[in-house]
Amino acid sequence: MTTPHSHSIKQHISPTGEGLFNLDNAINAIAHWLPTQGPIKDFIHHNTLHAVQHHPFHKGVAIAAKVFGARSYLPLADYQKLYREGRIKDFAIDWAIAHSDCSAHGAKALRERLFIADDSVHYPPMSLVNHGIRNRWQTHLEVDLNSLVHPIMFRLLANFLDQGISRWTLAKPEESFWECVRRLAQNSFIPLYPFHEAGVKGLLDLDPDAVILTCLEKIVGNESLYEQYLLELLLSHPGWAGMVRLIELDPKILLQRRQISLKEMLAVELLAELAIIQSKRGGHFIAAGNVPNSNDIPLLSDYEDKITVPLRLKIWHEAMEFSLHAELLAALKPPAANAAEKTAPIAQAFFCIDDRECSLRRHLEETHAGIETFGAAGFFGIDFLYQGFDDAYPVAQCPNIINPKHLILESNLKPEAPKTKVDVEMSNLHINRHSLLRSLLVTQLLGIGYAARMVWDVFRPGSQLLKIKKLSEVSDAHTHLHLLRENDEPTEDGRMLGFSFMEMADKIEGLLRNIGLTKDFAPLVVIVAHGSSSTNNPHFAAYDCGACSGKPGAPNARAFAWMANNATVRTILSERGISIPDSTYFIPALHNTSRDEITYYDKQLFPQSAIDKLAVFQQAMQDSLDKNALERCRWFELGPQSSPKEILENNALERYRLFKVEPQSQARKEAHEHVIARSTSIFEPRPELNHSNNLYSIVGRRSLTEKLFLDRRAFLHSYNPASDPEGVLIVKILSAIIPVCGGINLEYLFSRIDNSIYGAGTKLPHNVIGVLGVANGVEGDLRTGLPSQMIEVHEPARLLIVIEQTTEVLDKAFANLGDALMEWLNNDWVRLVSCHPDTCALSYYFSTGWEAVDLSGNTEVPSAQCSEAITLGQKTTIPVHQLRSAS
Amino acid sequence: MNSLLLTCQFLPLLGLMLIALLGKNEKAIANLSFWTTHAMGLSILALLISWGIQGFSGYEFEWFILYEHGSYQFPILFYLDKVGAVYLFAIWVIFSIIVRYCRYYLHRESGYKRFFLTIFGFAFGLNMVILAGSIDMLFAGWEIVGISSFLLIAFYRHRIQPVRNALRAYTVYRFCDIGLLLGAWMSHLLFHESDHFSQLAVLFEHAAPSPASYPALLLMSLLIFIAASGKSAQFPFCFWLPRAMEGPTPSSAIFYGALSVHLGVFLLLRTTPIWSYHILTRLMVFGIGLISVIIASLSEKTQSNIKGQIAYASITQVGIMFMELALGLESLVLLHFLGNAFLRCYQLLVSPSIVAHMLRVEGAMDIDDTGFKTHAMQAHLPVSVRDTLPEVLQNTLYVFALQEGNLERLVRSVLWEPLKIIGAIINAYAAWQKSLVGAAVFAVFGILVGTEVLGSHYLAIPFALAMLLASLSAFSQKHSFIGVWNAVALSCLLAASSVWLLRPDAQLDILLFTTGILPSWLLGLVVLSRLPGKERFADNPFAYRAMSETHPSLALLLFLSFLGLVGFPITPAFIGEDLLLYHASSQFAWISALIAISFVINGIAAARVFLRLCMGRPTEICNHAEITAMQAIFKSSK
Repeated sequence: MTTPHSHSIKQHISPTGEGLFNLDNAINAIAHWLPTQGPIKDFIHHNTLHAVQHHPFHKGVAIAAKVFGARSYLPLADYQKLYREGRIKDFAIDWAIAHSDCSAHGAKALRERLFIADDSVHYPPMSLVNHGIRNRWQTHLEVDLNSLVHPIMFRLLANFLDQGISRWTLAKPEESFWECVRRLAQNSFIPLYPFHEAGVKGLLDLDPDAVILTCLEKIVGNESLYEQYLLELLLSHPGWAGMVRLIELDPKILLQRRQISLKEMLAVELLAELAIIQSKRGGHFIAAGNVPNSNDIPLLSDYEDKITVPLRLKIWHEAMEFSLHAELLAALKPPAANAAEKTAPIAQAFFCIDDRECSLRRHLEETHAGIETFGAAGFFGIDFLYQGFDDAYPVAQCPNIINPKHLILESNLKPEAPKTKVDVEMSNLHINRHSLLRSLLVTQLLGIGYAARMVWDVFRPGSQLLKIKKLSEVSDAHTHLHLLRENDEPTEDGRMLGFSFMEMADKIEGLLRNIGLTKDFAPLVVIVAHGSSSTNNPHFAAYDCGACSGKPGAPNARAFAWMANNATVRTILSERGISIPDSTYFIPALHNTSRDEITYYDKQLFPQSAIDKLAVFQQAMQDSLDKNALERCRWFELGPQSSPKEILENNALERYRLFKVEPQSQARKEAHEHVIARSTSIFEPRPELNHSNNLYSIVGRRSLTEKLFLDRRAFLHSYNPASDPEGVLIVKILSAIIPVCGGINLEYLFSRIDNSIYGAGTKLPHNVIGVLGVANGVEGDLRTGLPSQMIEVHEPARLLIVIEQTTEVLDKAFANLGDALMEWLNNDWVRLVSCHPDTCALSYYFSTGWEAVDLSGNTEVPSAQCSEAITLGQKTTIPVHQLRSAS
Repeated sequence: MNSLLLTCQFLPLLGLMLIALLGKNEKAIANLSFWTTHAMGLSILALLISWGIQGFSGYEFEWFILYEHGSYQFPILFYLDKVGAVYLFAIWVIFSIIVRYCRYYLHRESGYKRFFLTIFGFAFGLNMVILAGSIDMLFAGWEIVGISSFLLIAFYRHRIQPVRNALRAYTVYRFCDIGLLLGAWMSHLLFHESDHFSQLAVLFEHAAPSPASYPALLLMSLLIFIAASGKSAQFPFCFWLPRAMEGPTPSSAIFYGALSVHLGVFLLLRTTPIWSYHILTRLMVFGIGLISVIIASLSEKTQSNIKGQIAYASITQVGIMFMELALGLESLVLLHFLGNAFLRCYQLLVSPSIVAHMLRVEGAMDIDDTGFKTHAMQAHLPVSVRDTLPEVLQNTLYVFALQEGNLERLVRSVLWEPLKIIGAIINAYAAWQKSLVGAAVFAVFGILVGTEVLGSHYLAIPFALAMLLASLSAFSQKHSFIGVWNAVALSCLLAASSVWLLRPDAQLDILLFTTGILPSWLLGLVVLSRLPGKERFADNPFAYRAMSETHPSLALLLFLSFLGLVGFPITPAFIGEDLLLYHASSQFAWISALIAISFVINGIAAARVFLRLCMGRPTEICNHAEITAMQAIFKSSK
């Protein structure tokens, strides 16, 4: 679903004025502005402003603001407040000013002006959407077309694309949207409003191209404005327009395939506009291109020249980012020399790079010194389509940039007696479809029972009355993945059913080399995937593993463990220089990030020795999960807050002592119960806070970050710089990290900066439409981006990628990274720092070259005895701390 | 028991005031609402128990008489019987659930306080409707419920669409108020002092000579039907209910799923003696129910969004309740009401789960069910139309369902378009033309009265006509908010003067009315004159100006003056309205009807002013020139 956005802006502006208007070119050009968020069932984070990604960050944001009418930064007062709170440092302001192209005398004046209060700088500029020709024209005619046409369009689109909510299906097999509308309009006894108007009736016989051109001629008149009018039209409902475009490009994203294109949608919509205008204003109305006094209207063709970046906000924003980035950079120190004398680990655990696992890893290592953790993208290098045994269809279990070629099926080893039909029907009566008579009986006889059910759900959450099983909760031990390919016959869709041993070995080797674990295997290696369970949450897919296209990663962990345990695969691997000892056993598990629970899979396959060793790990894991739950609870205002005031006032050491003597475990248990209740309450719009505050992405050995408290803000990827002299591995890692982590980061950033335009607004009034997305109310546009409940505590700063590798190797790697990804780096959509493997010397990457990071005098890193001493009583983000582990 | 009735009635109001005064932060609001809700729950429970101990019979309590003048009385009257008890029970259960639910659901939402204020306002109005002992009281509660619905639909005032839909629902409510307003007036007329609900049944029981004539009763029944079908979204007003689902999900659940939508049924239950008297009126209720059931159950089939689907399912069930009522199955209706209220409330609360449900539980979606058996039909048709006719019928059915029976356009073109057109014609004339014509008409009437061809009360006729025209002019005025405001006030004052001409002895009552209207009007004028950028209103008449964001105190004042101007039960104008109708009918009954209609139109026009000015997203635009200038200063010269 990534659309190529490498087109230069020159192509966006079709040859206006000169030459003929070309409809297809125009549609292709304006379609880049549409959001690319697919149906809600899989949620893929991406750069909200992908349309301007070929510009440098600040310029791109400014352009987008002028197109969408959105804010570009936080309000000025917010930055000033952060400065007063000490989160934005003076040296960072200096740095930001030095990196803007400001003259020396300007810099001084600018610095002074930063602190002047001004409410108006962050307001959105005049934009195409709000002040364009279409708007001006409607005001002139006094016809509010949006309120008249949108409900009609949205009903038609929603019913045509509906994936199963409405009882009657509109689309006939193989029928396109245009044909469908035509069928309804021409072939029914009741007129389809407004397509029955005399002026437009005849146009229905034409093809969409001709309809669009005819309508544009009447509505716009001036050919040079056609494209701008179409863009403004689409951007008046970006949600539906984007959805139509995505389905047009890849109909496979729908379960029930539909044939629709942006062109057909535009044809129907323009026809409806024309019909309504004519019925309101008669046949002769003034065209949009001829509206008087239209000199000051922003034009699509010249917006790029008039771009101005609000300088103060830009400086403030960069200063905030640099302050936050510097907190980490200052803490990166070469590991102490004696670190090599570590005892052999009792267990190793692989986690997803996800920032939510960052704290769990820290707690696990703090809890048991013998546990070593690694981070890798949560699909663990194995990409496939997966169909669980009670799933209706296969889903991709890999980042969406990969097109998987393998299909994995799950089967049930012990067929349980399926739940009786009556049972299922009874518990879902309120959802199932009914005939009139049956619904009468249900309401009449059982309706009162729902009072009890409601009381139960609302006053006793967590009782699981709402029996909708989420994928991530599937923990049936008695299933089996068909991983081994039995024959090379591809399936109908051209997929391979399972992997061959050679392919398995490739995958395992790939991941192990990526994370730099090729020797010293512990007896137990636990592969921890993650997923999230929540109730009453249409955005549930956005809570799962981003590296698995918004699915729980359990199948990947199971596949990885099975392959790595397989004797044949191990033989192949040892031939390639990775010898896994026989005593090592791989165990798949799933961390439920909202409930902080862990599930171990395929227990029936475990050898006795592994079961014995697992007990220690399990205990450590359980303690860590409790601690993790408590750490998360500091963000939940309504959760248990364990912070007696007097403790806070004492110093850190005393705090720690109190911890040890006090039954802190009580607080942890309470916290754990609270997060579980959260994920099962029907009234909880924040089962968890997901990637809120994500900020860093660190690629390197764990020794670099082991003793750091990163406040759940880092995506951690393991990588051994020594084994990658040519930068081959780093290319692989970056091509996953940049789009996945960068996408997450930018989507959070923009959803936070303007939640009503880039984000989805508050969750509370959302209404699920056609299983495609959510809208406000019954007639709203589809909302894209993230709901406010997910981003409200997010600090919007760009991602800082720190790579433990020399700049020379990185330069080699960048040469092979490809233009699309280098665009992210060169245009500053993510920030990148190289950290020298031996000296920890830091260099900032700019498109112009490397620049040494000079933090002289600002290297003070706060430290603490343990994580819990840091988080106690804290309600906002916490700077990076050094941990002086007592053990 | 009397005091329990009072606590049930006034605890929500107390809650509202406490939250307004003390609700400084979320926690305080949550605590206050928790305690008030449970206090109210307890008093409802105690009330029901003590009522049960007294033998489940109808119980009436007259607190005091609020206003009395001549034969007119406005008593504060409470009444509890089986119907009220069942409704109270439902209120207790659902309200406690929703308050608890919202404690968490609305956490950190901007407008937390506003939400709880409105919810308590709603509960206050609802209890008033349920416990009302006469139509007047019921009407007061009805208005409060209407306004709080309106506010909750427009809860997300940043977006235009909720605001628009709030107005849409409010228009329907307001139209149905004609029914209740005139109904209240007729009940005074027909039953005099015995318009208490407690006496209705008795009145009809042994009255071989009915207390009123059939035509009058028929008219009154019709008015009640209008009010009931508007509130319960029955034919022809089905369309507003799904569109009202704009507020936070729990508010949709409590209003449109559970309680508000059943108020029409309640009204019919309360007034059963009046309309069940005759087979014709029973047939009408049955007909309304039946048509609604047909339209709503068809529309439900093509709703591709989950809340719309639940809304239509609810309308269908309410339609069935209407039919049951027409058949006289009152107990069944009560049972049905409880079932529907709880089921829909639950469905709405868990509606976001539908995605998970569709994907995980239902699995493969079997959707070849088009609801139309084309194959079976083909066999019976002549060959020439065998292929086309079934498809055409199928399309027809789909289009019918898709456009939801076209009810909205029907209502709009029958009710509002003609008014708009007349108003537009009036507005097209300049002020001097209008006053010239007005003066001429008055002169004619003045001469006629002066020469004693007509009685002096005939002078009221031109006043009444002018009042209606002023309302219409306000209704279709687009370009000047002050113009609308003045026209509304003018229309009210004209109504007052026309009644004064009819009944010069009623001047006290008329004064009462004007004491409500005049201050509101003046307050509104003050607010409007202080608006920023008011000179440019005409440039962009359709913009929403987001005053409640930018000038919250002005917006609140405007809201209050709007309430006063439309005769909301916070000013004496509310009783005054009733009195005007009462007095007007002593000479010309039709003038009462005109007054009622113009009040309703005024309400809509004033609401529109309020929405346009106070709602919307503030549209500040950054000063491009300033930024450019700054950039130029700081740019290096290289």
